[in-house]
Amino acid sequence: MAEEKQLTEKESLQLIQQMINKAKGSYHDTGIGPILWGSVITFCSLATFAEIQFNFELPFDVWLLSLVAIIPQVFISIREGRMRKVLKYEDVALGYIWTCFGISIFLLININASIIAHLDPIFTDYNKLKGPHEITFDYNSYSTSLFLLLYGMPSILTGALTKFKPMLYGGILCWVCCIISVYANIKTDLLLMAFSATAMWLIPGIILRRRYLNKLECSKN
Amino acid sequence: MFKELDPILHSQLRLAVMSLLISVKQADFIFIKEKTNATAGNLSVQVQKLKEAGYIDVIKEFKDNYPNTTCKITKKGIQAFEDYVKVLQEYLQVKQP
Repeated sequence: MAEEKQLTEKESLQLIQQMINKAKGSYHDTGIGPILWGSVITFCSLATFAEIQFNFELPFDVWLLSLVAIIPQVFISIREGRMRKVLKYEDVALGYIWTCFGISIFLLININASIIAHLDPIFTDYNKLKGPHEITFDYNSYSTSLFLLLYGMPSILTGALTKFKPMLYGGILCWVCCIISVYANIKTDLLLMAFSATAMWLIPGIILRRRYLNKLECSKN
Repeated sequence: MFKELDPILHSQLRLAVMSLLISVKQADFIFIKEKTNATAGNLSVQVQKLKEAGYIDVIKEFKDNYPNTTCKITKKGIQAFEDYVKVLQEYLQVKQP
């Protein structure tokens, strides 16, 4: 591009439009983050489902894996931040959205633990007094719906902001699963959670990864 | 009476750089070079001119032991760009039959 070429008014507007479009088209996610979280949540949900279905217990709480997954996620975020040549306004918004999501999940886990701790003795006493009329209410079943509600939100926003339809549709599917889970038992809830994590993170993550690798291949050639 | 087009922006490469930077929060020198297809030396001179005009901030730092230059549009730059587009539109409206 010549440094001092004088432009006509029309050429100037065309150049502005062309450059804005070039900047817009520069979004690329490596897909590792969605693949990581999609795999972890799907695995944890299916493992918990298997524990209930086949009546066994793992020697540790499988959901601790989601805490362990934070470590590689931190490294992935730092590495991707270093590799990034451009920081768009959408990237900043997405950063805030996913940070808020992470904090919301942490708060929800604490709120759920507190509710269960308060409800358990009440139901134990009630069951003792009532005898054969036991309460079938299981708060855990509803907490799955709350998690699905939260999972869907950042996925829909990410899909909409980046115009990446697989994640947008995955997020919508997650909210559909959220509604179904309100009326389903805990086992179905866990299957719905595994399905949602696969649909909104794992599959879109694989698509993003393939796109990213293709782009890398093209830029090498 | 038309306002005069800002001479700092009314040049192909500088306008291209500003158009890129108006759409993003910040961009590396390499990114701008790739998108504008300019040579490093040429781009460097034009970036310096935009910096001297106060239209962009240029941050020089080390990334993984390599020097890295990041450019970011300033408030003055946004205002100048908006004014430039307004004047352009005025010119084009008059020229249209």
